[in-house]
Amino acid sequence: MALFNKAFARLLNAALSILGSLVLVFFIIYMMPGDPVLSMLDPSTATPEAIENMRIQLGLDRPFYAQFADYFTNMVQGDFGQSLITSEPVLDKILLHLPATLALTLASVIFSIVIGVAFGVLSAVYRNRWLDSAVRIIGLFGISMPTFWSGILLILIFSVQLNWLPVMGSDSLAALVLPSLALGFVGAGFIIRMVRSSMVEVLDEQFILTLRAKGLSERLIMYRHALRNALIPAVTVIGLHIGELLAGTVVIETVFSRQGIGRIVADAIMSKDMPVIQGVIFFSAIVYVIINLLVDLSYSVIDPRIRKSAGTR
Amino acid sequence: MKDITSERSAVRLPKWRGTKIKGGLSASNLSVLIAGFVLVFITVCAIVPSWIAPYAPTFMFSDEILVAPSLAHLFGTDYFGRDVFSLVVHGSRDSMIIGVSAVLIGAVAGGGIGALAGYIGGIIDAIFMRVIEILMTIPGVLLALAIAAALGPSLKNIVLAIAISSIPGYARIMRGQMISIKKRPYVAASRSIGASNARILFWHILPNAWSPILVMATIGLGSAILTGAGLSFLGLGVIKEVPDWGALLSQGRNYLTAGWWMATFPGLAITAFVLSINIAGDKVQDFANPKTSKGR
Amino acid sequence: MKKIIGGTKFLFILISLLLIVSGCSQSAAKDSQASASQSGGNPPAGGDLTYALATSPDTLDPHRSSLAVSVRAFRTIYDSLVVQDENNEIQPWLATEWVVSEDGKSYTFKLREDVKFHDGTPFNAEAVKYSFDRIIDPKTKALNSVALLAPYESAEVLDDHTVKLNLKSPSASFLSNLSQAMLGIVSPTAAEKYGEQFGKNPVGTGPFEFVSWTENAEIKVEKNTDYNWAPSYVKNEGAPYLDTLTFKIIPEEATRIGSVQSGQVLAAETVPPQNIAALEKDPNYNLLKVNTLGLPYTLFFNQREEPWSDVNVRKAVLQAVDVDAIVKTLYMGTYDRAWSPLTPGILGYDKSLENSWKVDVAAANKLLDEAGYKVGADGIREKNGEKLTLNYVDSSPNREKRNDIAVIVQQQLKKVGIAVEVNITPDFRSVIYENSDYDLYGNSMMNSDPNALRGIYHTPEETQVLESLVGGYDDRLDELLEQGTVEADPAKREEIYKEAQHIIIEQAMIIPIYVFPYTVAASNKVDGIVFDALGYPLFNDATVSQ
Repeated sequence: MALFNKAFARLLNAALSILGSLVLVFFIIYMMPGDPVLSMLDPSTATPEAIENMRIQLGLDRPFYAQFADYFTNMVQGDFGQSLITSEPVLDKILLHLPATLALTLASVIFSIVIGVAFGVLSAVYRNRWLDSAVRIIGLFGISMPTFWSGILLILIFSVQLNWLPVMGSDSLAALVLPSLALGFVGAGFIIRMVRSSMVEVLDEQFILTLRAKGLSERLIMYRHALRNALIPAVTVIGLHIGELLAGTVVIETVFSRQGIGRIVADAIMSKDMPVIQGVIFFSAIVYVIINLLVDLSYSVIDPRIRKSAGTR
Repeated sequence: MKDITSERSAVRLPKWRGTKIKGGLSASNLSVLIAGFVLVFITVCAIVPSWIAPYAPTFMFSDEILVAPSLAHLFGTDYFGRDVFSLVVHGSRDSMIIGVSAVLIGAVAGGGIGALAGYIGGIIDAIFMRVIEILMTIPGVLLALAIAAALGPSLKNIVLAIAISSIPGYARIMRGQMISIKKRPYVAASRSIGASNARILFWHILPNAWSPILVMATIGLGSAILTGAGLSFLGLGVIKEVPDWGALLSQGRNYLTAGWWMATFPGLAITAFVLSINIAGDKVQDFANPKTSKGR
Repeated sequence: MKKIIGGTKFLFILISLLLIVSGCSQSAAKDSQASASQSGGNPPAGGDLTYALATSPDTLDPHRSSLAVSVRAFRTIYDSLVVQDENNEIQPWLATEWVVSEDGKSYTFKLREDVKFHDGTPFNAEAVKYSFDRIIDPKTKALNSVALLAPYESAEVLDDHTVKLNLKSPSASFLSNLSQAMLGIVSPTAAEKYGEQFGKNPVGTGPFEFVSWTENAEIKVEKNTDYNWAPSYVKNEGAPYLDTLTFKIIPEEATRIGSVQSGQVLAAETVPPQNIAALEKDPNYNLLKVNTLGLPYTLFFNQREEPWSDVNVRKAVLQAVDVDAIVKTLYMGTYDRAWSPLTPGILGYDKSLENSWKVDVAAANKLLDEAGYKVGADGIREKNGEKLTLNYVDSSPNREKRNDIAVIVQQQLKKVGIAVEVNITPDFRSVIYENSDYDLYGNSMMNSDPNALRGIYHTPEETQVLESLVGGYDDRLDELLEQGTVEADPAKREEIYKEAQHIIIEQAMIIPIYVFPYTVAASNKVDGIVFDALGYPLFNDATVSQ
């Protein structure tokens, strides 16, 4: 029962956060200069009545709170409205593009965990040797290169020069490789740092020394005891950066001409297409909440100690 | 709070330099040395670019368009015929402004919110953290994109957009610090001898809580510049007569085959800066980490 | 023991995540394989042509579109009543012949009788009437097509294959406008059926039938096997040789060119100038280039406010801006410089304007001195304590390096003491057309007839709600533009538009910059892409060899 209450409270919190983010974004976009109606009518022939009618038809003549209330009541009933520009249902649009973004995000997460943990452990084990320095520098490059630059470089090297992988698209597994490399490189950089420093700490701790003294093999110590502890920060980083990862898709999807909600929302922000922006924010907030739930869950999988004291964050 | 931060850093920095010199030239100390040099050089560029840049950054050599790097043009020329080296040197100023002011605003606002929420607790904590949670559910770059689109692409607005999107990170870290330090025995001790809330907060808690914020801020400096570059890429970056690094890189990205130097050098400038600041950040972290510096 | 279980659980989660990812992508991969195997065949017939577009079409409903890129895609789906040939003469297409009434206010078209829409609906007089009435119906929310169709009033179905179009007033550009794809004939059945969503389910009579449109990814069309009514531009009168034509949407320049170079697409449009030279040299590629028709990329002065209401100040700017340097620097000799408010090749283009003025900084300085603007301490001119600044507005994203033109103009005008403030915004519509908050703004327009000048340079009609671009007018120019609309004799129209062009340049209302060449980089496997008068590609003759 207590567990149920806790889960319920969490869900309620998440719902409140999502509602809040919808209000906030609605307000920001409402403040934006410009008028979507102007891009829907031909400037040279539109009459004042036509423009006014269009505004009334779209409800844009009404105050902010009324517009939001309208939007919200419809949304609760599952109606996310239509794009102001293309008059497509927003829900269809998002459901069409979300899978590609999720695939990209997931592939990047996996890539960054695999590379990040492997390199982080290497770095910690060979602490202060040249391998450590090399790995750390590589990791720092990941953090410090703008993704649109590394993305275009990857295209030029692996697609144009070597012709190994497709330049663009979202219709094959091969086309997923370069974009998730470009995006995952960033996360890998952060994870390398976190894993290295926590591994270094763990390796110095009493229980490892004890295990060593007991004569356990170095490999066993490494994998069963040290790595488990090192995974926690990696997972934390993913939880913290999932938002950035989702946002990173805006740039990566443009560079690689992939489908996805990142590109949709960037276009929508430029054209002040409120229903689309709101729809994307809603879904990315949900993804954010789910991923963070998974992150919390995975803590208890990785570290039994946390399982016992779960919830005290 | 800001005063305390700078006072503490003033106290700490000499000590850090001391350990570096004692340590000799190991690989890690060498990288710190190089990083320090890069940071000093970039700072000088940002403050007095005309001392270093050989040409005016906006001057267009109309007969030398897309010329490869040479002695006359160390980093080559761009598609306007401008000297890329001079552009990078002059561009450092706006890039620094974006990085430093976004971090300052974000860290002060976020740190402040987090400190209050963590220290006071209760309903204030609940409200503040709700707001922070809301900001966190909107991906940072998207928030910056929306704010930049709403306010328009001036330097001030871009800084504001990046700063706002970085607030949640600082707030969460600060709050966590607050809550853990609040429970420490010496705080309870000083409360028992009748110290005021303000005194406890400013004298006992903040000085012990700021180090993760400092670490985060060094990293944030780099990511602010990267976010700015991303905004330039999406067409919402700062537009100025002398472009910042992000704008330069964004302009050069379509010339990688026709003139690789145009994007590469501004890109390397960003990378070198972010790399150095992170190496410095690592050092700060090593130093600020209570586990490794027990002698406080 | 417990720890091991924990470990396997984690592993299990990781593996299942991996499976989910690979599962999703595998099904997608299968789809693409299936479509690839469909498109086998023997050259020249058969094959799939992939063609990269630089921006995303807004809609495939010709009447509701406002973008040239959409026309490139839907020109394959719709036909027009007539076609305008290389010499600006009007030739038959869906209409076999036509008669214009004495007063020039009604056009009677005889239509082909063997034409069917892709959905089987017969093409007839009803369909023509339906299409044009649809455009003027406000419920359609038609965009550019409304202006093109004006002054259309009504249509009468005389018999199944004869239709009479009535105009409110005579219009010399009417036939030419009818040749444009935005006035293409749509299937009445489909347009009724899909309503608002017709743009995603387009049906016409064109050489290709619509298959699918995946937003931000691709638009796919396949050959219309019944096609037998090609326009005079192409050799192949019948069905196109290609089985399918796929437009890939690749906005990022480097990616678009990279995808041609890696062979992922066979052709790509809008090749950046810096890549043209390399691709021209490469034997594996053909570079196709055609100048577009209409109004070139032009910087318009906003004459509403001081000092830009003063013709001498405008002239000073016109003489201070070195357009040759701009074109040479940014476009590396691949774009032609524009000299007139019209592009070469359009009816009435005045060649005598070419080289009719030179960059003259001294003359510009003199004009500004005379206008009372004295150079201040910082090198910027001022008058009555107010600095001479020019608010240069351009739209984002940076299309055709237009934002870079602003950067150069800024430096050039600094030399005569004008401070240029560059303002680049995605929200140019409200800045320009609603608030008129600019001193200089650049735009271009593809069009088949010089009557397009009227929409910009003529004193606005009272019904027009949005601001015009120039904000300053000339009585003689108004008169000429009115005459140009109704004059039936092409020779007389030429004279009218020549004088109009002279007035616009003499008044320094604009700074013409460049004529946009439509460029395509195609693999040498591709052959037979041709361009119509406006510079839109036609794929009837296109082939792909293996």
